Amino acid sequence: MGRYLLGRLLTTIPTLLLVSFSVFLLIRLVPGDPIVLMLGDAADEETVRDIREAYGLEKPFFVQFGLWLLKAMSGDLGTSISNGAAVAPLILDRFQVSASIVVIAIVVAVAISVPLGMIAAWRQNSLTDILVVGGATLLLSLPSFWLGLLLLLLFGLKLGWVPVVGYISFAEDWQGALTYILLPIVTLILIEIGVVTRMARASTVEVLRLEYITHARAKGVSEGSVLMRHALPNAFAPTWTLIGLLLGNLLGGIAVVETVFTLPGLGRLLVDAIFARDYPIIQGCLLFTAVIYVIVNLIVDLCYPLFDPRVMAE
Amino acid sequence: MKASKWVYGLTLATGLLGSTAMAQDAVRVSINADIRSTYPGVNRDSNTDGVVHHMVEGLVAFKGNSDVAPLLAEKIDVSDDGLTYTFTLRTGVKFHNGAPLTADDVLFTWSKYMDKETKWRCFSDFSAKGNGEVVSLDKIDDRTVAFKLKQPSALFLGLLARIDCGGTGILHKDSFAADGSFVKPVGTGPYMLSEWKKGEYVELTKFDGYSSRSEKRDGYAGARKASIEKIRYVIIPDRSAAKAALFSGSIEVLSDLESGDLKEAKARKDITVTTAETMGLSGILMQTKDPLLSNVKMRLAIAHAIDTKAIVDAVTQGTAKANNSPIPSVSAYYGPPQGELIAYDPALSKKLAAEAGYKGETIKMITNKRYQPSFDSAVFIQAMAREAGINIELEVIEWATQLDMYTKGNYQMMSFLYSARLDPSLSFDMFSGPKATQPRKVWDNSEAQTLIEKSMKIGNQAERKKIFDTLEGMFRKDMPMLVLYNGPDIAAYSNKLEGYEAWMAGQPRLWGVTVKK
Amino acid sequence: MSAFRFPWRQANALIGGVLLGSILLAAAVAILWTPFDPLGINLRARFAAPSWGHPFGADEFGRDVLSRAMSGALTSTSVALLTVTFAVLIGTALGLVTGYMRGWTDRLIMMVNDALLAFPGMLLALGLMAVIGPNRYGIVLALGIAYTPSVVRVVRGTVLSIREREFVEASRVLGNGEVFTMLRHVLPNAFAPLAVLATSMFGWVILSESALSFLGLGVPPPAPTWGNMLSAARPYLESAPWLGIAPGLCIAVTLLGINLLGDALRDKLDPRMAG
Repeated sequence: MGRYLLGRLLTTIPTLLLVSFSVFLLIRLVPGDPIVLMLGDAADEETVRDIREAYGLEKPFFVQFGLWLLKAMSGDLGTSISNGAAVAPLILDRFQVSASIVVIAIVVAVAISVPLGMIAAWRQNSLTDILVVGGATLLLSLPSFWLGLLLLLLFGLKLGWVPVVGYISFAEDWQGALTYILLPIVTLILIEIGVVTRMARASTVEVLRLEYITHARAKGVSEGSVLMRHALPNAFAPTWTLIGLLLGNLLGGIAVVETVFTLPGLGRLLVDAIFARDYPIIQGCLLFTAVIYVIVNLIVDLCYPLFDPRVMAE
Repeated sequence: MKASKWVYGLTLATGLLGSTAMAQDAVRVSINADIRSTYPGVNRDSNTDGVVHHMVEGLVAFKGNSDVAPLLAEKIDVSDDGLTYTFTLRTGVKFHNGAPLTADDVLFTWSKYMDKETKWRCFSDFSAKGNGEVVSLDKIDDRTVAFKLKQPSALFLGLLARIDCGGTGILHKDSFAADGSFVKPVGTGPYMLSEWKKGEYVELTKFDGYSSRSEKRDGYAGARKASIEKIRYVIIPDRSAAKAALFSGSIEVLSDLESGDLKEAKARKDITVTTAETMGLSGILMQTKDPLLSNVKMRLAIAHAIDTKAIVDAVTQGTAKANNSPIPSVSAYYGPPQGELIAYDPALSKKLAAEAGYKGETIKMITNKRYQPSFDSAVFIQAMAREAGINIELEVIEWATQLDMYTKGNYQMMSFLYSARLDPSLSFDMFSGPKATQPRKVWDNSEAQTLIEKSMKIGNQAERKKIFDTLEGMFRKDMPMLVLYNGPDIAAYSNKLEGYEAWMAGQPRLWGVTVKK
Repeated sequence: MSAFRFPWRQANALIGGVLLGSILLAAAVAILWTPFDPLGINLRARFAAPSWGHPFGADEFGRDVLSRAMSGALTSTSVALLTVTFAVLIGTALGLVTGYMRGWTDRLIMMVNDALLAFPGMLLALGLMAVIGPNRYGIVLALGIAYTPSVVRVVRGTVLSIREREFVEASRVLGNGEVFTMLRHVLPNAFAPLAVLATSMFGWVILSESALSFLGLGVPPPAPTWGNMLSAARPYLESAPWLGIAPGLCIAVTLLGINLLGDALRDKLDPRMAG
């Protein structure tokens, strides 16, 4: 187990290096310069050069990359060109916002979807099944930012139930915090319900067809017990692997939801940094996301046996 | 990670569960991006300037009509040869740490700014080849300092007051650490820095020891007495979010309302809107080095195809006047030659285009979505040009990319904005120069260049006016840029406040503003 | 179990076909005709509410929203089609090569592939768009690159699973060249999973394109796409809500159509999953 873990982690290192290098290179190929942006229309050539030098942007590319990499390995991702904030704590701060929304949304979505999918599979081809699958497919087809806008329009602007802008941390005031992230969470939950329900239904359908279920039924085990004791554990495993993917997709897609609800999350940080050509933040965000993605998938893989009795038995 | 207090946007937690967490003692003002530093005129942008000017003050400052008035100076004496400026400091002025303002502080601050390593924005203006080259700054006595210039300059006081240079704000030694690095501004302004939570907010607290001038508030000059205890600049990058925040009472001042939102804001009873013309400039650049546009007749054809007034009315919702001159309409040098609009004449446009040999070639115009009015203007210009048979294609790119292309002169046409220049000489200078060495310059006319340089050295207003009128004629004949208007400063604020006003420079000013009981 | 067997495949195919078909029809019509010029400005119609003249209303420039949505359909579907073609062609070629060659070529390509997969597709596209710059060919390239790795994975997996099978061996024994064998015997086996993947990819691309345009990193205005129309509608959410309805509805209808068709296709190609 330990060796497996180590092996997995070691194989990700070249990937991460390649990622960092490409990001570092590509972002410098983008037209536009953070210093020219800072100085605006009044920038003259000499001042631009002076300030670029002060930020170490005039050094040869490989020297810049080497310096950044050395620091990055010790957890120091540099400072923002825009406002001098240290990048690593900034990313962690923003990640906290994105993560709290994404994690809550996934937990709730799974808690709703897995039973829903199982019931649909159990009552296959019934009206319930048609409604569940139809509803899930419909939800799956809604773009998150549009759904978010509609919810915002209804609950934020028309009904005035929730505030439309801002964010408070849970640590500060959890009730207040909840009012700010309620709509973004609901948006994500609705979207994810579509994906997870369909997945749960499909895997349950497959499990219900397996021999041992037929056996259990033949032996007169009640349907509820079949579902809970035999089908659930087996049907949940594929859903669990999906969660890893979902988390990744959510981290990638969270930028639009954060834009709609103006949340200070990681996605928004990255998009704003791209517009500001704030190289250290862009580099940091992308590296961080890649690392998180790798870790999440690793955890998912490691936990997989816990949910799949077949693998467990081996 | 420390679970620190984590407020983004708001201090007041209202809403679903009806919890009110904090006492509301701060007036909240939106800014659309974080400030860059608190060091006056060093690593700054417009938001930074607006915040810094609440904390520091210079010897002189701009009034609402762009004239320069004394601020920390009691009076200013200029020698007959125009080379020596003697400033007498006001008495009773104290720094935030309680120390009185002396001539030594002026000398100390000046030495910091004029250190090349500081990278002060106005460094080049006051050093060799600058428009206000200073030979020496001397202490006459504890309350008097004298600047000696290399040559007479019409711009010297204006340069000292320059908003983007932090108004040459005078700092106490305590603003710096022992190693000489900047820590935070210990100035003489009506507010002190209390907290800067990067990416979230900047909070200022009233300075009780402030000694105000007796004149009434006027631009950055005059009375600057604070009444509000605390100001919290809340960073809300998103336009719709800022608007929603104001309407829902989450902020009190929205410092940069888009003209597109004007109608909606005006319709509300709990909101007041205030507008003022600024000295920033919105216009359409035409690359005179482009094969097609190098023909002046083609550039004039485009200019005559455009109904400036209709565009400006639509884009700014009546908050700005159409202005085809590089000189801002609020300037004292703005007269009949500047005020005349270029004739909207599609027939003449077609004739000129034909003479230029135009055969319907596509002309690319660069614009961006970051500055909505600039984009809107571009869309209107495209539509109007099409009616006159001129085929313009819009290319919408990111602002960062556009700036890059501007700096390199790499465009055919471009919808562009210039930040405020507070003197007509500088207004012309910002876009005039040799393209060979400064590709970003729009107007490459050596005769004009000589006149602009001359205008910087003459003190006599009538004589300067004559030069600017001549320049205006030359500019319109060459038509390297179709100026459209001077962007308005539009702010909206809650009726809980009294005395807030938009003004020529656009940055929010909170002194003189009171909270209604 | 249940007496009534719901005809999933037929229903899915029918509804999905009608939904997607109507969008494609609108896009096709937009090539030749739209009720108004999608870029034409009409100051008198600014923020016009939906009416007979403008069924979906008019926007902040007085442009007809229906015309823009139609023209947007053309942009979105053509971008999606190009992107999927790009990803499938490049991905298949790379997948075949890596699956077949093994050795260093395989390892190198797979390392780059894994590096690309280390990012959620949307995030990768976001970064690439920043580099390429927002324009419609850039978006095809960015999304194409972002989605190619999953095609490589699928094709390589199929190749690995069948390259040692008898009929492939037989082809070799018969003296057929590697390339012929690959195209004749290996590729057809990758068809089913590829078809399913390509269908879902079409949906992802529509969604990603509109998300990127929404963030201001996609197809730039004034050319209409559903995403940038939604983004432009945001400030007027309260005063002119119709601006956001049409483009959002178009995206939803397209995605629903694709998802239903995808389900039908999966049922057909993978009967195990049939309900």
